[in-house]
Amino acid sequence: MNCRECVEHLYEFLDRELTPELERELREHLEDCPPCGEQYDFEELFLKFLRARCKTQGAPAELKKRVLRELFGE
Amino acid sequence: MAESSPTPPASSPVPLDDKRASFEREALVHLDVLYRVALRLTGNPSDADDLVQETMLKAYRAWEQYEQGTNAKAWLLTILRHAFINEYRRRTRHPETVDVDTIEPFAVFSEVQDEDPQGAFFDKIVDDQVLQAIDQLPVAFRETLVLSDVEGMSYQEIAGILQVPVGTVKSRLFRARQLLQGKLYDYAVEMGYIKGTPA
Repeated sequence: MNCRECVEHLYEFLDRELTPELERELREHLEDCPPCGEQYDFEELFLKFLRARCKTQGAPAELKKRVLRELFGE
Repeated sequence: MAESSPTPPASSPVPLDDKRASFEREALVHLDVLYRVALRLTGNPSDADDLVQETMLKAYRAWEQYEQGTNAKAWLLTILRHAFINEYRRRTRHPETVDVDTIEPFAVFSEVQDEDPQGAFFDKIVDDQVLQAIDQLPVAFRETLVLSDVEGMSYQEIAGILQVPVGTVKSRLFRARQLLQGKLYDYAVEMGYIKGTPA
């Protein structure tokens, strides 16, 4: 696997969506290629950051009450 | 309203109490997910409330069609997205004229690799700013990114909900993430969190 292919598949790798064979090839490339390794770290951090920033919000209590009222009349 | 417990209609295949119990157990537990996705799709809390409410009503009416024990979250999100397309999209957003699949991704990493390869500038960007940047993405990118990065769904699940091939999910997710990174990078440069040169 070359650098271009590695970058192309980086997100799929981080999402655990690659086939075992491609995953192994990408892992091997990352071990041998420090710049791609750095980009891997960067993208991994970005995805974690994104998750942390967006996950905090839940449905307002009022909405839950409204749904229950509408569905079950309470 | 009478206080006595209602008798299920003769045509109902399951007793109402069972239907309610299974709906609460399998569907209502996903209220937070539905709300978060609705909020990103509609762009405001009041429309998100209405969209979730409508989704839950439709889901409850169609509950007999849901195969219990399968993926209730994906099933509910499919209903939510249909409702959004049918009733909210035209009203709340202008129809998109860009072909999202031709948007060129911008590689932020290559811009910051000398100055901040660890992406420390991300840490300075607060929740609201990130959500605002997500809301600026074209809807096809936004929905893909939210289902993946906020709700952690698999490509296969997302493809099912959005009714597109897995390859499209992959490519939209790639572009969505790069586009979002670009927006956050521009913001970070603007705020002086990083020197860089705005895209």
